Amino acid sequence: MRLALTLSLRDLGHDWRATFCFLAALMGVLAPLLVLFALKNGIIQNMVTSLVDDPSNRELIAEGAARYPAEFFQALQQNPDVGFVSPSTRSINTTVSALRHRDARALERNVSVIPTGAGDPLIAGEVPEPGAVYLSESLAEALSAEPGDTIEMFVDRELSGQRETARRDMTVSGIVGKQLYGRDAAFLSLPDLLAVELYRDDRAISADTWTEPRPAPPYYPSFRLYARDLEVLPKLRSELAAMGVRARPRAQNVELLLALRTNLNILFLAVAGLACAGFWFAMAANLRAMTETRRVTYSLLGLLGSPLGQRRLIPLMQAVILVQGGIALTLLAVLPTIAGINAYFSDPGGNAVAQLGLVHVAATLAIGLVTSLTASGWALSAVGGIGMDEVLTHAA
Amino acid sequence: MNAGVAYRDGATPVARPGAVVRIRDLGIRLSPDYAVLIERFDLMPGEAVVLDSGSGTGKSTVLGLISAAIRPTPFGGESTHVLLGVAVGPGIARLSYAGPGQIGYVLQTNPLVPYLTVGENIRLPSRLAGAHIDAEWQDHVIGVLGLGALLARRPDQVSVGQRQRAAVARAMLARPRLLLLDEPVSALDPENADQVEGLIRHLAEDAGSAVILASHQAHRGAFRQTARVAHRLERDGEGRSRSIFATAARERGQAA
Repeated sequence: MRLALTLSLRDLGHDWRATFCFLAALMGVLAPLLVLFALKNGIIQNMVTSLVDDPSNRELIAEGAARYPAEFFQALQQNPDVGFVSPSTRSINTTVSALRHRDARALERNVSVIPTGAGDPLIAGEVPEPGAVYLSESLAEALSAEPGDTIEMFVDRELSGQRETARRDMTVSGIVGKQLYGRDAAFLSLPDLLAVELYRDDRAISADTWTEPRPAPPYYPSFRLYARDLEVLPKLRSELAAMGVRARPRAQNVELLLALRTNLNILFLAVAGLACAGFWFAMAANLRAMTETRRVTYSLLGLLGSPLGQRRLIPLMQAVILVQGGIALTLLAVLPTIAGINAYFSDPGGNAVAQLGLVHVAATLAIGLVTSLTASGWALSAVGGIGMDEVLTHAA
Repeated sequence: MNAGVAYRDGATPVARPGAVVRIRDLGIRLSPDYAVLIERFDLMPGEAVVLDSGSGTGKSTVLGLISAAIRPTPFGGESTHVLLGVAVGPGIARLSYAGPGQIGYVLQTNPLVPYLTVGENIRLPSRLAGAHIDAEWQDHVIGVLGLGALLARRPDQVSVGQRQRAAVARAMLARPRLLLLDEPVSALDPENADQVEGLIRHLAEDAGSAVILASHQAHRGAFRQTARVAHRLERDGEGRSRSIFATAARERGQAA
């Protein structure tokens, strides 16, 4: 084994021009493929993910007003196709009269309030308890509010021509990014939303007592509903339809979005597969050609007592050395290129434009190893066909 | 080792001191109408013989057949091929009868492994066999052949004559019991040829090697007095030729 390794390395070093050409050819195939793969993992994957995995694309919007009992919501919460569901008080968004950030002297009127709860795909962090609120990014900017700040919420009503206003302090728990929700809105706990509605509708509730806990209503007129993922959205919609519930997806072209992801994966697999196949055949032919130019040496080694297994180890080891060395050199060229791409171009989401992780490098080396071991088969077979008698009869 | 063991025809071992080579009716058909046949070949330790038949008669082929580098063609009859006491045949490991301490081979074109130095080439057979190298004998061989200053050079950095001497050193390094020489000096001018042949003969005697020399210029030089292997060409009625080689018949018991 050791002698075969020595002979393999010495041969490659002696015929360094051929070795260089082999490595250059390998780099020529592999480098563009790795850059393409890094871009696929980076910006293309991010674009597709933001398109396909955007929570708003998974939302089913209730059409019209109805009466949904607690059992309806319990059944949906136990449905594995449901990512998030929350009762809602109206078919369109409820609004509060104003939100004010006293310290920043900022006030926004007629702000939409949206019920939230555990599993809400728009909320990253703890679910707001009564008295806490998440602000959409645009609203937070308008109010100059940050997580941890206290803002005031105002709810107006008119009773017999008399205007009354209820208020309470709310703690800002977090911000909902623009990519998740692009308009002004505040995300509240369901009890807080119900308190707003009840204060407006029930004259028995005063501005002093409007935030006190109250029993949940027996029915809700609407809901917020998100499928677990895009693939199950059509199925979930059909299930709702079977229950007599009309709902439409927010995304207009669910099938198109799904096809985009699938087709892109197929496209990249096809490109990578074709490149690998081409590389495999090129390598097999190169190794076979190398064996051909060394017929006399292989024959001489046999005559001098080298067993066939040892002679076959030489092209096998050379294949592994060349491919793994070629991959290492390619990475030395590609990694700075990827760093340059990431430094020069910026992704809107702040992610790397091109990504090549350790897993990808290890996978490349593993594929290279398998490729070199299998592609050297032709050369190994040829070595077996070189007889000791060739060196006896060859002309110098 | 198998030294001192001889075999009957049919490759059944018989404990009898003697032959380095014992061959009967071993040959190869090179084309439908031409074959090379070793009818009888007996060689004792330290003995030397010369194949000096004309060009194209199959001298190199005979050496290839003897060393088992060329696979023989079955001719119908029973053949015997015993090298250093080992009956050569399919399934017999080559190193058991053709290791560096058993056979040394100097080829006409003196091929060396191009990516190894002269010194590495000389030591290669012993390394392949995992054999110990006698440093004193190595220095002697290298010194006699004048290779001391060339050991670190690659084959493409030395002359044809120097490559030839390196090939001789490679063959002699493990004191082989049988030395096969295939036109070893054909590429050299007459003066150098005589000198290199003399060195080979000297080293072979030092090592106690039996020698088979194939040469078309053995009428001069160090092997001019050496016994010849008889050669004849037979042609049958259908125009097929056989180039037949045979050493002289021996007294029964010399090489049974």
